[in-house]
Amino acid sequence: MADALLQVRDLRKHFPIRRGLWSRVAGHVRAVDGVSFDLMAGETLGLVGESGCGKTTTGRCLLRLIEPTSGTVRFDGRDVTALRPRELRSLRREMQIVFQDPYSSLNPRLTIGSMLAEPLAIHGLARGANARERVAELLTLVGMSPDHARRYPHEFSGGQRQRLGIARALAVKPRLLVLDEPVSALDVSIQAQIVNLLRDLQRELSLTYLFVAHDLSVVEHVSTRVAVMYLGRIVELAPRETLYRDPRHPYTRSLLSAVPVPDPDRRAQRIVLTGDVPSPAKPPSGCRFHPRCPLAAERGELARCSSDDPTLREVAPGHWVACHFA
Amino acid sequence: MTEPLLELRELKTHFFTDDGVVRAVDGVSFALYAGETLAVVGESGSGKSVTSLSVLRLVASPPGRIVGGSIRFRGRDLLALAEAEMRAIRGKEISMIFQEPMTSLNPVYTCGEQIMEVIELHEGLGRAAARVRAIEMLRHVGISSPEQRVDEYPHQMSGGMRQRVMIAMALACKPSVLIADEPTTALDVTIQAQILELLQKLRRELGMAVLLITHDLGVVAETADRVAVMYAGQVVEYCGVREAFRSTRHPYTAGLLASLPRLGDEHQRLRVIPGNVPNPVRFPAGCRFHPRCPIAVERCRSEVPALRDVGGGHLARCFRAEEIASGAVDPVAGEGAPRG
Repeated sequence: MADALLQVRDLRKHFPIRRGLWSRVAGHVRAVDGVSFDLMAGETLGLVGESGCGKTTTGRCLLRLIEPTSGTVRFDGRDVTALRPRELRSLRREMQIVFQDPYSSLNPRLTIGSMLAEPLAIHGLARGANARERVAELLTLVGMSPDHARRYPHEFSGGQRQRLGIARALAVKPRLLVLDEPVSALDVSIQAQIVNLLRDLQRELSLTYLFVAHDLSVVEHVSTRVAVMYLGRIVELAPRETLYRDPRHPYTRSLLSAVPVPDPDRRAQRIVLTGDVPSPAKPPSGCRFHPRCPLAAERGELARCSSDDPTLREVAPGHWVACHFA
Repeated sequence: MTEPLLELRELKTHFFTDDGVVRAVDGVSFALYAGETLAVVGESGSGKSVTSLSVLRLVASPPGRIVGGSIRFRGRDLLALAEAEMRAIRGKEISMIFQEPMTSLNPVYTCGEQIMEVIELHEGLGRAAARVRAIEMLRHVGISSPEQRVDEYPHQMSGGMRQRVMIAMALACKPSVLIADEPTTALDVTIQAQILELLQKLRRELGMAVLLITHDLGVVAETADRVAVMYAGQVVEYCGVREAFRSTRHPYTAGLLASLPRLGDEHQRLRVIPGNVPNPVRFPAGCRFHPRCPIAVERCRSEVPALRDVGGGHLARCFRAEEIASGAVDPVAGEGAPRG
């Protein structure tokens, strides 16, 4: 395998919960609670999970858009978490992010041209005519017309805005893109256009993607490997085919079985989980999934699962699972 | 088949805005029969939600107005009813659940009070009896310890639980029609699975008809009996769920199905429908789908296709439906390409 472009080790982000008159810290939301993975150059790692599992926070901690509480993130050998502000800026040339909501992530008062030229100026990459040329090039790259540079974001549809968000991220020629739910706000017919665009760009520009999403079918379509998160932790990580054909963690299994299949003759056999995701402020003891786990109950191992926290271990080459019974 | 419970004919709901007339719903017809689930599918801006709001006459006016057509429920024209008569139908005979359970529940009343209000209003029960019914309904929709939950406020509950409360409220008076507008879109997949299962179970138990408004073709395949596909304010295809997925006769439906990434598919490019949904103030002339259609011909640019029976009760709004059926053209790849 190629070298890891990004190495994440035991990443944690705990948000304090403040209460009362003096904003006393009454506890912590453990949004990300010990996440480790490698991102190989040129691959797409899908990071999936339900709302509140910490996938978005993980993505933002990697770029230090949110400061992690602890843990290390190494990009190409450099420790991102130890960088000073100036060094961090130069790192941001290499790592960029595309956000979910194309309506709120573009500045409504900047023309598309100024918006795309801004990162070029900040990083001292191009000015004046050179910048204009680069803007035209970026617009063409994402399938838009260079003429669009004079327009404002409100003149564009959701799918076009997402293309512009991608163009902005690509302006500084990064090597890694964190894609935070890049297609979930879009209609199906537009979603396919953006998924294809991301794929073409990855080939053309040899990009590495961390694709954060909740839609398991989209993630399967784009990913090389997939990591499943539950309550701030990765519970399973495997190459795409393995994860979808042979999921070992009971949470992954129920998650996959819950996806409605667009085929009326294959109405799915569901493993319907009972209850809701527990609060990340008070995660359950032992295995965090045990209160909802069909396997723990079935095997009569509730005592073990509620006291003994399973570590993420390699059950087959490249296939990591955090379950006692994997 | 017997008489439909609910029947829309050529319904038109337009919005009169500064930018012009938005023809959100522009001649929609379909029928809903007792005990079935009819899915109305479409992308944003297709008019599916405005259609469902029109049925209950909940479209904000101004700017919106139902400008034409009829909505018949058990033989009565809902558009001719006085507001007081309409109020007696809403929540009692036809109920609705919305996408966002947080914004559609009142944050200053307990969940119990909101369910009790419906029961007191429509069934004339006293508070004590209504409370007993509310607790019973909460248990029915799978909320644990309903005796305590009944006194909780919406913010104390999770998204899935709030959607259950909405369902309890909608079903408290055992309506014959439930309109579910994107009931699971705001929920996670594992919670979505719970809610869909619950809706199916309640539909069977109560024998009600469900009008399911959704953009999710997976949800349609798993829950619907029949499907109405909407595009640009009109129904473009109307058929049984199997026909829609197995033998569609409309290039828009075909394009939607082809653009889905599916679990278990190969790592290849997705098919796309080129372009965007048209602006509802200026729909294209002729067939509204023609600028994005891979098999559009000259006729499609000038003539408006009717929604017609293209065989065995399968309705489609396309001049070339027969050619699609015979395999003479591929509705996704376009002219001349072999099907398959």
